[in-house]
Amino acid sequence: MISAQVVHKTYIDGETQVHALRGIDLNIGEAEFLAIAGPSGSGKSTLLNIIGCIDTPDSGEVQIDGELVTGRKTRDLVEIRRAKIGFVFQNFNLIPVLTAYENVAMSLALLGLREAEIRERSMTMLAEVGLQGMEDRRPSRLSGGQQQRVAVARALVKEPLIVLADEPTANLDSETGEDVLKLMLELNSRLGTTFVFSTHDQMVMEYARRLCLLHDGLIVSDEHRSA
Amino acid sequence: MPRTRGTFLLQLAVKNLTRYKRRTAITATAIGFGVAIFVAMASMLDGFEAESNRNLARYELGSAAVAHPEYWDDREQYPLDLVVENAEAVLEAFDRASIAAAPRVAFQGELVVHYDPFPEDGSLHLAFYGIDPVRDVTVFDLADGIVEGEFLGENEYGLLIGRWLADRLGAEIGFPVTVLARTRDGFHQIIDLEIAGIFETPNPVVDRGAVFLPISTAELYLEMRGAVTSLHLALGESVPGTADLEPARQALSQALPQAGGAEEESQARGEEEQPPVVLSFADMTRELAEAMEVEKASNNVVLFLLAVIAVVGISNTMLMSVLEREREVGMMRAVGVRNAEIRKVFMFEAAGIGLIGSLIGITFSIGLVAFMVHVGIDYGAMIEDIDMGYRTGTVLYGVWNPATMVAATAFAVVVAGVTSFLPTSRILRRPVSESLRRS
Ligand SMILES: Nc1ncnc2c1ncn2[C@@H]1O[C@H](COP(=O)(O)OP(=O)(O)O)[C@@H](O)[C@H]1O
Ligand SMILES: [Mg+2]
Repeated sequence: MISAQVVHKTYIDGETQVHALRGIDLNIGEAEFLAIAGPSGSGKSTLLNIIGCIDTPDSGEVQIDGELVTGRKTRDLVEIRRAKIGFVFQNFNLIPVLTAYENVAMSLALLGLREAEIRERSMTMLAEVGLQGMEDRRPSRLSGGQQQRVAVARALVKEPLIVLADEPTANLDSETGEDVLKLMLELNSRLGTTFVFSTHDQMVMEYARRLCLLHDGLIVSDEHRSA
Repeated sequence: MPRTRGTFLLQLAVKNLTRYKRRTAITATAIGFGVAIFVAMASMLDGFEAESNRNLARYELGSAAVAHPEYWDDREQYPLDLVVENAEAVLEAFDRASIAAAPRVAFQGELVVHYDPFPEDGSLHLAFYGIDPVRDVTVFDLADGIVEGEFLGENEYGLLIGRWLADRLGAEIGFPVTVLARTRDGFHQIIDLEIAGIFETPNPVVDRGAVFLPISTAELYLEMRGAVTSLHLALGESVPGTADLEPARQALSQALPQAGGAEEESQARGEEEQPPVVLSFADMTRELAEAMEVEKASNNVVLFLLAVIAVVGISNTMLMSVLEREREVGMMRAVGVRNAEIRKVFMFEAAGIGLIGSLIGITFSIGLVAFMVHVGIDYGAMIEDIDMGYRTGTVLYGVWNPATMVAATAFAVVVAGVTSFLPTSRILRRPVSESLRRS
């Protein structure tokens, strides 16, 4: 469904070159629950950004849904992200002036859906993530865990091909983090949505059905586990 | 674009406006200040022009005039050879068409006054107007301006003089004066008159430089042989310069000898005998209107200042907002908001600040304009002796100008909206992944 082949990415930071990804091969299938684990600076964010069409590789190829995305125009990449990819970020990244409901509805409004459908689907999704009754709260009136649930709902409501979550629990205490993870896992098995998340937390890795270990821009192990 | 998408972007922009209340308020107030000054200035200038035109119409020009085709260009020489012959026939034609018309004989002369009863000897070059007391009141408001003595009536040798002039000469009703002038044929003439009335009008040019006597006296002494220098018409329009002149033109053509044979005849007699024409208000006020355009252009400086305030204020405010929200913008771009849509959000936001500013400005300016309309601004002695030819008193009044208010608002909104493009571009140029890395 998603494949990356010999992906390289180098950043030039002033004088120094940082070889963030050094030939990544990765195939992601349907309904996977995949963790990209590795220490800070190992290239997790870079890999997720490239898979998510936010960033482009220096060399190598990325295919999404059987479609080659490498080399496509920025304009086209926006459309791919809009329609097919859901994002969850470490620091939630909700729009502070919008309510929980509006933050979720945004995804659908951008797709140009009709008002009634937006309402129906957003409310259902907020209920799915356990935020019934908090739809009208702004992020400032939600806990970190609740904000991350809104972010998960925002990513999922458009029924994307894949949800990419870059260290979704890093800003949460372990208990709340675990709750968010359980929620994602439940949604994965119930809705069949593919989740790829990055982490450097041992506890979080435990939840993964498939675990890729990243080290200095290379995948050093790729292990499928049973539930 | 489906409705929900556009509505969403607009709603987001409106909500973002409440985010930096202080900053928004300061920028909006600055824009409001510019809008208020522009609207107030425009009100003053429009009021100035309207007043000047009204006073021209009421005391000097009427709605339109009939004169020799070359008279108007030479009018400052007060020529008595570029005239309307057989004024009586022309007047009859206007009477038949039910158009109020008043003849005038304008000439230059010297007003001579002597010690006792005057405080001292003196003489002044002035513009003299022979007027028909009965017809003049149907076109002009001079009679209403009489503050002492009376309007020209029975007294064949009466003279009307302005308050300002009377005060400087020490003139009182009944004082004798002598007028030195030249006849139509250029011979010196002396007319003895007495001051019959003193008038006061809002038209400083008339008040200070014009004196009036009965047209019959002017006709007699200047040997006009039935000719007048101009006839002035009242066509009933409410704003000077907007009258339909067609009826007047038709009426005039009735009064003139038939074309054809008359043409050869007139050529034989030379240019003096050219048939008279109808002069519109605009024809007669061209130079003043051009000067007024220059005055009005001075308000463009204020408009420019308003633009500068809007551009500087908005670009600063928006730059701060945009940079503070870089990670948020990165998130939006990551989840698939197009750059054009992000621009739109910031553009709506900036335009919103422009709109709030304009509303503040218009609220302010309503107060300012109300003051200028009802109280006016007394320029007093400051411009007393500056004669630019405008027919306005020392107190200037504004006029209500809703169109200017709307235009200033539209201007501020558009300038603000367009200005948002620069700061927005600054973060849209950066890669999404970098914007997301901002803390
Ligand atoms: N935009 C960038 N400019 C320069 N260096 C970068 C940039 N993004 C990432 N890097 C570098 O690339 C390496 C991998 O970064 P990243 O993918 O963020 O790792 P992780 O998410 O695993 O911490 C790091 O050394 C980081 O400093
Ligand atoms: Mg990272």
